[in-house]
Amino acid sequence: MATIAPTAAANRDYRGGRYKTRSVGSGLVLYGLILALALWLIGPFVWLLVTSISYQRNLMARPLSFVPPEVTLDNYRMVLGLVRFHAEGQAARILPSMLNSLIVASAVTALNLIIGTTAGYAYARYRFPLKTLSLFALLFARMLPTVVLVPAFFLMLRALGLQNTLTGLVVIYCAFTLPFTVWIMKAYFETIPDELDKSALVDGCNRLQAYYRVVLPVSGPGLVAAGAFAFMLCWNEFIIAQVLNTKPDTTTLPPVIVAMNGQTNIDYSVIAASGFVGALPAVLLVLIFQKQMVQGLTAGSVKG
Amino acid sequence: MTLGVRLSEGRFALLLVLPALLAIFAVVMLPLLYSLWLSFTDVNVLRTSGPALELFGVRVPLFRWVGLQNYVGIFDDPLYWSSLWRTLYFVGAFVLEATLVGLGMALILNERFAGRPLLRSLLLIPWSLSRVVVGLLWIGILDFEFGAFNGLLYNLHLVDGSIAFFKDGFSALNVLVSVYAWNQAPFAALLFLAGMQSISVDVYSAAEVDGAGYWQRFGYLTLPALRPILFLVTVLATVNAFLMLDLIYVLTMGGPAHDTTTVAWLGFQTAFTFFKFGPGTAILYTLTALCLLLTLVYYRLILARFEPAA
Repeated sequence: MATIAPTAAANRDYRGGRYKTRSVGSGLVLYGLILALALWLIGPFVWLLVTSISYQRNLMARPLSFVPPEVTLDNYRMVLGLVRFHAEGQAARILPSMLNSLIVASAVTALNLIIGTTAGYAYARYRFPLKTLSLFALLFARMLPTVVLVPAFFLMLRALGLQNTLTGLVVIYCAFTLPFTVWIMKAYFETIPDELDKSALVDGCNRLQAYYRVVLPVSGPGLVAAGAFAFMLCWNEFIIAQVLNTKPDTTTLPPVIVAMNGQTNIDYSVIAASGFVGALPAVLLVLIFQKQMVQGLTAGSVKG
Repeated sequence: MTLGVRLSEGRFALLLVLPALLAIFAVVMLPLLYSLWLSFTDVNVLRTSGPALELFGVRVPLFRWVGLQNYVGIFDDPLYWSSLWRTLYFVGAFVLEATLVGLGMALILNERFAGRPLLRSLLLIPWSLSRVVVGLLWIGILDFEFGAFNGLLYNLHLVDGSIAFFKDGFSALNVLVSVYAWNQAPFAALLFLAGMQSISVDVYSAAEVDGAGYWQRFGYLTLPALRPILFLVTVLATVNAFLMLDLIYVLTMGGPAHDTTTVAWLGFQTAFTFFKFGPGTAILYTLTALCLLLTLVYYRLILARFEPAA
C-alpha cells in the first residue's frame, strides 16, 4: 500500500537546506520569509481582534495607529446584549443563533461519527457489491456544488414541513459532511493492521464486536479528526442556513453576522466583535486537535 | 448466535455502509435529480397546486414541464456568457495563486527553524475561519474608510486618500481571488507538506553530496515527487473556485454592476433573489456538469495512483 501520509518520524528533521549549516545570507532570507508568512497568516485575524476592542473613530483616524490608543470591551458588551444601543435588536440574535449553531454542529458531528465511521470501516476492510460505485458516489457528493441542491432542498423541506427548523439543517449538513467522514475514517482504518480484527474474531468476537470493541477503541485520532472537521464545516456554513432558515430564531450564527454587516448603522468594530466571537470556537477546535486533523485530512485527501 | 456471524462478509459490509449511503442518497442524489427536473420546468414557488409527486403522504410539487426553455433562455443571455468568462478568469487566477502560495508556504515550513511547530499551527487559522468571518476581516483591512491597509498606505505616504478596492470591478474580482486564496492556500500547503515529508531524506543527502543546490534539488527531486499532489491540489482548487459563493455574498454581492458575478453567483441570485428556480437551477446545472467531469478525472487519478487494488 503506497502511502503519502506524514508518518515517517525520521523525516521530521529534514530541512531542505544544507545538512550542517545554513549560510548567513540564506538564513536571513529564510527568516525574512518566515516573518512574512507568520504576518500573512495571523495578521488579518489579529487585526480583527484589535478592531473588536477598538472604537470605530480610532479605526477611521488617519494616520492610523496600529496599536489601539483606547481599548474597550464595549463592542463585546453590545454583542452579548449587556448594554442597550441602537441596534440591540440585531445584537440580541447573536447568542440564540450561536446556540442553534452549537446544537446543529454537535448533532451532525455525533451522527457523522456513528454512521460515517461505520461505513468507513466497511470500505477499509471488506469487499462487497457496489463498493467501487458507491465510493464514486461519495466522492461525487463531496465535490458537488452544494448550491445546485439548494432550490430542491427549499421545496423538499417545505413539503416535509422542515423549513425553518434545526432538524432540516441537521439532515442536510449530515449529507454533506458524511462523505468527508467516510473518506477520513476509511483512510484511518487502513492504517490499523487487520490482524487486530482477525485476532478478535479468533478470540470469539463476531464481526460487529470486532469493530466496536476492538478496532473502534484504538481509533481515537481518526475519530477526533473526522469529528472536528465535521463540526467545523457545520459551524462555518453560511449559504444553506441563509436560504433555508429565514425566520430569525431558527437560523445559525453566520447569517446573523452577515445581516449585521449589511446594516449601515452598525459600527464595523461591533461587527468585528461578533465575527471574533463566532470564529473562536472553530479556531480553538482546530488548534487543539491540529495534529489529528492534519493527519486525517492529508491522508484522507491524498489517498482519496 | 448473533447477527454478524450468520451474514456473509459482503452483506455484513453492505449493512455497515447502508445508513451513510441512504442518507447521501436521500439528501444528495434525490435532490440532485429533483433539481435536474426543476431546471426543465417553470417553477413558481408560491404555487402549491398542480402536478405533484406523492410519497408517504408528502406532496412534492413537480410544476409544468417546459422542455429546454430554461436552458435556451440562459444561453441566450449575454450575462450568462460574461459570467462564464469571468468565472474562468476567477478560477484560473485562484488556482494559480492558491497553488503557488501553498507551495511556497510548504517549502518554508519544510525547512528546520526555531518556531516551526508554531508556524504550522498558524497555518490552520485562515483555513479554519468561516468564509463569513474571512470576508469580514478583509473588509476591516481593505475598507475605503477604516481599512487597515489603507491606513498603512497613508502612514507610509504612499497614497493621498484611500484606495477603493471594491469600486472598480476588476479590482474587486482580484480582491476576491486573493482573499479566497488566503483562506484556501493553507490547505494546499498542508497537502504539499505531507508530500514533501514522504520523500526520503537519503535522496536529498545523495543529491547534496553530488553538489546539487537548493533549486536544483527542488526542480529535480521535490517537484517531480509532488506531481500527484500538485494535480490533486489544482483539481480541488478548481472545483472550489467554480463553486465559491459565500465570499461574494459577504464582500461584493456580485457587483459593482455585474463585475464580480460568477456563474455560481448568477445561478444563486436567479434562484433566491428573483425566485426564478427554473432558470436558476439550469444555470447551476451547467456548473454541476463541469464538476462531474472533474470528479471523474480526480477519481481516476486517485484510484490509478494510490489504490491499484481497488
